Order: sequence, then C-alpha cells, then structure tokens
Amino acid sequence: MGKEAIFENLFNAIVDISEERVEKAANELVKGKIDPLEGIEKGLSKGMEVIGERFEKLEIYLPELIMAGDVFNSAMEILEPEILARGKSVAKKGTIVIGTAKGDIHEIGKDIVAMLLKTAGFEVHNIGKDVPTPTFLQEAEKAKADIIGVSALLTTTLLGQKNLIDLLRETGKRNRYIVMVGGGPTSQDWADKIGADGYGVTAKEAVSVALKLISQKRA
Amino acid sequence: MVSFMDVINRALTGPYYSEKDYNLKVFVPKLREIVQKYEIKCNPKAVIPSDDDLADRVFKAGVELYANVGTYCVDTQRIIQFTEAEIREALATAPSAPIFGEGKEAKALVARKPESNIPPWCFLGACGAAVSSEEIFKSIMQGYGEISFADSITAPSLATLNGTPVQAGSPLEILACIESVVLTRDGLRKAGRPGLPVMNSIATAVSDAGKIAGSQFGLRPSDGWLIGPMAEMKVNYERLNEIAYVTSLGGHIVVDASPMLGGYCGGPEGAAVTNVAYHIQAILVFRGSCHASFPIHLRTSCSTDRGTLWIISVSTQGIARNSHFPLLDISIMGAGPETEMEFYENAACVIGAVVSGSAGVESPGGAKNAVIDHLSPMISKWTAEVAHAAIGMKRTKANEIVNVLLPKYENNLDKPPEGKRYQDCYNIKTLEPSKEYRTLYEKAKKELTDYGLKFKY
Repeated sequence: MGKEAIFENLFNAIVDISEERVEKAANELVKGKIDPLEGIEKGLSKGMEVIGERFEKLEIYLPELIMAGDVFNSAMEILEPEILARGKSVAKKGTIVIGTAKGDIHEIGKDIVAMLLKTAGFEVHNIGKDVPTPTFLQEAEKAKADIIGVSALLTTTLLGQKNLIDLLRETGKRNRYIVMVGGGPTSQDWADKIGADGYGVTAKEAVSVALKLISQKRA
Repeated sequence: MVSFMDVINRALTGPYYSEKDYNLKVFVPKLREIVQKYEIKCNPKAVIPSDDDLADRVFKAGVELYANVGTYCVDTQRIIQFTEAEIREALATAPSAPIFGEGKEAKALVARKPESNIPPWCFLGACGAAVSSEEIFKSIMQGYGEISFADSITAPSLATLNGTPVQAGSPLEILACIESVVLTRDGLRKAGRPGLPVMNSIATAVSDAGKIAGSQFGLRPSDGWLIGPMAEMKVNYERLNEIAYVTSLGGHIVVDASPMLGGYCGGPEGAAVTNVAYHIQAILVFRGSCHASFPIHLRTSCSTDRGTLWIISVSTQGIARNSHFPLLDISIMGAGPETEMEFYENAACVIGAVVSGSAGVESPGGAKNAVIDHLSPMISKWTAEVAHAAIGMKRTKANEIVNVLLPKYENNLDKPPEGKRYQDCYNIKTLEPSKEYRTLYEKAKKELTDYGLKFKY
C-alpha cells in the first residue's frame, strides 16, 4: 500500500473513531518504513482537525471527542517508538500546564481545551480541578512549560487567575510563562485587566490563541 | 425509602470505576442504548411537543437509566446504585407539597400537570449571579421582594466584601456567606416580606463550610437549601456533607441539576432522559423537597436554544405526568438587562415550562449568569407575568408562540448582547427602572399579547 493510502486510512480511522483501523494503519506505516512524522501530520492531525470542527458545530458530542482523542493516542503509541528509533522526536508545538482554579470543581470545558491542545501538537499536563495557585507554578516548573492555562467557572474562583499572574510577578517569573485564562465568567476585558496573555471564548479559539502566542514567543 | 445512611454506605462500598470509565463505559453507552430502545427523537419544529406517549417514554427511559447508572461519587470513585424497586418506592413516597416560607408567606409548592390551570410557583431573583457590592446586593433583594407574584426569591452571590474580592475556599468566603444571609433577610424585611423563603440558600457559598457557617446567621429550615450534583450524575463529599447537615436540621433541600446538551448526554434526546434520572437522584441521594432543573447547551451556556427548549419541555412533561415530586424549571439566558432579546429568551423558556407542567419557574440573572451586576428585578417580574399569562394554555398554542420568538434571537445566541448593569438601568435607591427599560418592557408585553398571551393586567 502506498503512503498516501496509509495517510488516508489514518485520517479516516480518526474521523470514524476506529481504534482497530487506526492501529492497523499505524502498523502498516511502520512496516512500510514510511516517515511516522509525515503520518501524524498528513493523517492523524488532519483527522483531529475534522473532529474538532465537527465538535464545534455539535455534529458530534463530547464522548466522540474524547474517544477520537483516545484513538489518536493509540496510534501514537505505535508511532512514537518508530520516531525515536529514527533518532527524531515529535515536534511539539509547546508545553502547557492546565487546570481549574482553587475552589472550582468544574472541568468539562477545561478538559475539552486540554484535549484539543494535545491533538494540535502540544504536550499537555492536565493537573485537574480545585488547584491551589502555587501548584500551577510548581507544575509548570516541573514540566518546563511554555504556557499555564487557568480555567474558572465561578466569579469567586476567577480570582485564582489573577492570583497566579500576581504570584508570577512576585517571584520574578512572569516573563517565563504565557498565561491563558478561560471559563464562563472570563472575558477579554478580564484577561486584559489582570494582565493575562491570552483568552479564548471557545475551546477551538483557545487552541488558535495558544498557537499564536507560542509562535510569537519563539519569534 | 432507602435511608441517607444507606446512601453513604453505598458511596463507600458500591462498584469501583475510574471517573473516565464511569463516563464512557457506564453512563454514555447505557444512555445511548436506552434512547434507542424507547425511540426518543427530537423534532426541532415541535419545540413544545404535544405527544404524551413521547413524554411517558422519556420518563420510563430516565427510570431505566438511573437504575443502571446510579450516582457516581467522585471522592470514593464508586457508584451509588439503586434497584428499580427502590426507585419506584422513592417516586411513590417523595414529597408532594412541601411548605416553604414563614408566617403569611408560608405556602405549599405543588406539582402541576401539562396545560394545568394551577398557578405556577414563581421563584424570582438572581439565580446566584454575582453582584459587586453589599449595597447592590441589598437593593436588588428588596427589589425582588417587592414583586407581588414572588412566592420565593433567589439571592445573588457577593463578589466583594468591604471592597475586597471574595475568594472561594478562603475565610473571606465564610465571611461573605454570613454577610449574604444578613443582607438577604434585611432586603426582604425592607420589602415588607420577611417571611419569603430564600430558595437558593447562599449563592456565595462554594464550599460546604461556607454554606453551613453562613446559614447560622439567618437561614431557616423553611428556606430552600440549594444543593446540586456535578455533570453528569455525580456527587462529591462536600455536597453529601451539606445534605447530612440540612437533613439533620429538618430543612428543605432544593436540588438543582443541569444536564448538558452536547456533553456526555450527547444530543437533546439523551439530555432529556438524563433530566429524568436527575429527578430521581434528587429524591434518593439529595433527599430533596423539590427538583430545580436547568438543562444547558455546552457551547452557548444558555437554555434558550431550540434543542434545550425541547429538552425542558419533553422532560418536564414526562416528569409532570408520572411524578408528584415538584419540578421547577430555570432559564439561563444569553442576553442581559435592558435588551429585547432578554425578554424573548425568557418568555420562550417560561411559556414552555409552564404549559409542560412545571411546578414553577425561576427567573434568572442575565448574560448567562456570568457577568457581574447583569441582573435586574425587571426580568424577574417579566418571568412571573409571563408564567401567569401562560396558565391553562395548550401546548400547541405555546409551540406556535415559541416558534415565533425563537427566530428573533436564536442566531444571536453565540454572541448575545450583555445588556446593562443593574446600577445602569435602575436607580438603586428608589428601585425604579430606567425609562428606556420600562419602555422595552411594555413593548415586549404588547408584542406577546398580540401573539396570544393573556397577561393578568
């Protein structure tokens, strides 16, 4: 089978959310000695883009989004050893630590953003809900993160976003990290007011903003 | 009925699942199987359906769903399970006419049937939306109390205390919860209605400690102590702690639950069935005196789009026809105060709920309940007037009206107008709305009258 056909199979397996087919296509790619990075770019990632767009329009729902992410991960488990064996690595777009602010137990929206970031090529450290402000910084240092994302769904937990930025300033680490905020009561005005670097109304927009901010930082 | 001690024991000993496995291997597949089995299908043109058989199928599906998926306790990672026989017993013995309030304001909240002539309970207020100061809090509470149709009120959450932003989980939360209760009671006293029940206990409380501590400063057992699950079908120790406290106090628990269209429920059919499962969960796990439902759309965070209005109507009908445990419906609107869209969205939701057999309706804050100070007594008054005007209306007529209202705003739900802050559309000392707001109100009332709504005055 030619490599274009394998890329198409990877793409279709993601779009159809088929773990069996994605594993078969990934194994064929390895067997055919095709560059796995090309397979990720032209097959898996393109498939996840379609999944993201369909989810944005609610043509598919949250379970499908999560399952497609799992299918993507299954393929990566097959491709990653091959990438390492070739002395290469997956060119990650950046590293992000993401969580929900202290006192807040809402995490569906944050989890959606985390998943879309991961499939867009970010290394994502999802540190969960009800996360104390210092933990964001500690986890970011541990992961050598580029971005810290803080989600909040309540007016009284929104302050967790500001607290992180204040803490980064106090510790002289503000310029080391891009800070993104999101969640129901968050807005661009709020992001500007507290000095956050980025904000997205939707999960898809959050990914676009993250990509833009990373490329600006690296430029 | 299964005791609360049994519920706790089941939270400690029920089947173990990781949260992801509960979501994707228990809840989602069972829900999808049941939706297919009962042939539940949303017709986006029949936003307010008149199909009793469909409503009954949604109810049966919800019972079967709950018997299969139970409630997931995130702290123990175990499922609190109930048999179908225990569910039947709970539905048969659930409260049917809890009395809320004190003195002359004491009143029974009764379940209604679709197209009922019984007036719906109007629980008017902020629905927990945030206000920026103690002054605004007290002013708006008085404003809600002065609405004649109010059977109960809901308070806002307090975002600052003496100018300091309130932070969840900190001692400031405890102090703000105490202050919220004091201000709520004082505002209602100034309105001349100190006995009015507060139906959302302390919206400022995020933690169990905040709610329990704040309650010592004026909350009564005859108020509604709002306690809700997490999406979907989950509970944690903090909420169970609150239930343990309120049941021991003999207080009324109002159980708010929000199935999410587009989330783990999938489409509107799954969310409608899940809403019924929440109704049962409200009796068994949350030990409620009533169930307050607000299905919500994952992307818009509102409850006024076509799909969510269908969820509210069909699940309310199913519950009203098959359960005497009172169900209240809450509408979360995209638009904020002093906008036309606010009136249209709220009317669509309230009309649908009342004709579908909701025991009562809650007026919301505006702007998705997410923008500080974007709330007003005016929209609460509107909720009550529309609710009373829809009493006895046929579902077919309601469907016609809602289908006229929807095209006026549905394309704006992705970016709805935030409207104005309370202090910008009201005089907060005299509690008078602006001339512009009053004009918009009268215009909307005339328009709805032309569509067939019979306002009381």
